[in-house]
Amino acid sequence: MKGESFSERTARERARVLLDQGTFRELLDPFARLESPHLPLQGIVPQSDDGVVVARGRIRGKEAVVASVEGGFQGGSIGEVGGSKIAGALEMALRDSARGRPIIAVLVLDTAGIRLQEANLGILVLSEIHAAIVELRRYVPVVGVIAGKIGCFGGMGIAAALCSLLIGSEIGRLGLNGPEVIEQEAGIAEFDSTDRQLIWKTMGCRQRMQIGQIDLLVPDSETALAETIAEHCENARVEPSAAQRPRTQQIDLQQKKISDYPLLERIPERTNFSARTSANSHGLRWFQALTANSAGTPGTEPVLASDVQWGGETVRAIAVVPNRAARFPRARDGQVGIEEGWKIARSIREAIIADEGREKRALLAIVDVPGQAFGLNEEILGLHLSLASAVDAYATARRAGHPTVALIVGKAISGAFLAHGLQCSQILALDDESVEVHVMSETSVARVTRRSPEEIASLADLVRATARDIRSFASLGAVDQLVKCGGSDSLDARCVESVRAKILEAIGEIRMFAREPRMRLDSPASQESRKMSRIVRKALEAEWD
Amino acid sequence: METLNFEFPAGSRGVIRRVQVGIVASGNLEVLLEPAANAYSSVRVRTSASGYSGTWKALLQVFFERHDVAACIEINDCGASPPVVLLRLEQALEESL
Repeated sequence: MKGESFSERTARERARVLLDQGTFRELLDPFARLESPHLPLQGIVPQSDDGVVVARGRIRGKEAVVASVEGGFQGGSIGEVGGSKIAGALEMALRDSARGRPIIAVLVLDTAGIRLQEANLGILVLSEIHAAIVELRRYVPVVGVIAGKIGCFGGMGIAAALCSLLIGSEIGRLGLNGPEVIEQEAGIAEFDSTDRQLIWKTMGCRQRMQIGQIDLLVPDSETALAETIAEHCENARVEPSAAQRPRTQQIDLQQKKISDYPLLERIPERTNFSARTSANSHGLRWFQALTANSAGTPGTEPVLASDVQWGGETVRAIAVVPNRAARFPRARDGQVGIEEGWKIARSIREAIIADEGREKRALLAIVDVPGQAFGLNEEILGLHLSLASAVDAYATARRAGHPTVALIVGKAISGAFLAHGLQCSQILALDDESVEVHVMSETSVARVTRRSPEEIASLADLVRATARDIRSFASLGAVDQLVKCGGSDSLDARCVESVRAKILEAIGEIRMFAREPRMRLDSPASQESRKMSRIVRKALEAEWD
Repeated sequence: METLNFEFPAGSRGVIRRVQVGIVASGNLEVLLEPAANAYSSVRVRTSASGYSGTWKALLQVFFERHDVAACIEINDCGASPPVVLLRLEQALEESL
């Protein structure tokens, strides 16, 4: 088998080949029978391991855990069970590493991202994976490997960007939005998903290597990959020097690259822009109401940040708002785009630095984000990395002791929500019909899952994770408080005051105990709705040693 | 998706190890094979292609006629052709003996 193609192997074989010979021990193997309960409900045949193989073993004698995603099953999509296997493995490695028993983590990523059939369960699991990577990489190398035929996209593209070492093969691809989804959302003039050359030039690992978004490019060979990973694990320094800061923290460098980038102007603007403007943006109105700040000239700055004094608390409110003058047209409706991710990260990092050695101000993410920006320019520049920088900043702030609260006042969609909101210790949401949480627009879901929009709508009753309303999302146990405010269009003073009081209450609770995303699983609502997430972690712990 | 259950008389050879082979990818299938828990061989099939109960029965008949074994089998199928199904079953059996 030596020197043979890595991409031709199954996820299980890939995990085996990366570990020292004879040390592979699979956890939660197919006979543990932890498959997706959500797929059969939707008439889809499940796989016994839900498409994720987790194995303990050694790499050059050092303890390691590998989580390997099977790209052949459902496009390597991350559902509740498979995602929890990855999150659980990282959390266990973190537990042991923090206790002085380092366990290297390797993620073999061959995945299209969140499994649309499990939608919001996938979003939550992804936020747990992100949190675990940011934490674990402080102790041991977290190695991402992108060497399969699917590539690595969506929330898992963000996960890849968070890894301390990222290895790609010649056949790998990395990005946020896959070609089909960009075409669906932004039109064929923006991205022709049948244009293979365009795909490779935009998101191929070779291109990623050229612009420094992966660390190593290797041939599609088992031995080459196994040896490269082993060598780096052997020589890895855990505490990176200032010069080798994680790329999600290289804000100056990346922002300069973006401002120097010659925008491809040939792309015609999408004609069906929604009517989101600063005039009807819930995010902007809530930002202004809560900060009593109508300065900041709405319409010219996509990320608003302002410090307010509430009682004894300093709170930095951050909102992503529509910006008709945005240089990148795909982000003009308030999407989190290539500039926005880094701007969120900068604002948070500035607060972290300013508060070093003193009382940490609270961070309030005001969430009304209709999605990530779907565009060619964004993918060329690495939108996954921009979003990862925001994820990293929120997670780092939470760890450093800044109380972090998300307030959902409008749309909380997909990658944008992962970047702006989901790393917070508490999530508050307006109990209103216009408030929505989901993974992808109905039309894109229909295209990717090959179903009619009617079928998809009827699924929401059957599998609540695929519903879009805030109450369904709250039923998954991720919302700490739903706040009734009598229609989000009428922002009366009493309503704003009650929301402000709830935010302060949340900050007070977090000062006593800062919850990490995985602790949402302890909430009463999640006991039933996230049963599999809990079962997987428990079973993984039982088989760990 | 359709779920089908079949029983066949137990053959004389028992399987030693439980084995998983294959992937639930288009035109492919996953087979889980373990020692029989009962006095007969049982097969559960979950398949994305509905309406082929007769084909599955005939196919499994061929498998148990060729191989004198007792086993408990689960199949997760994503539209594999009969030769592919037989190939996977025999691959699983070979690894389990």
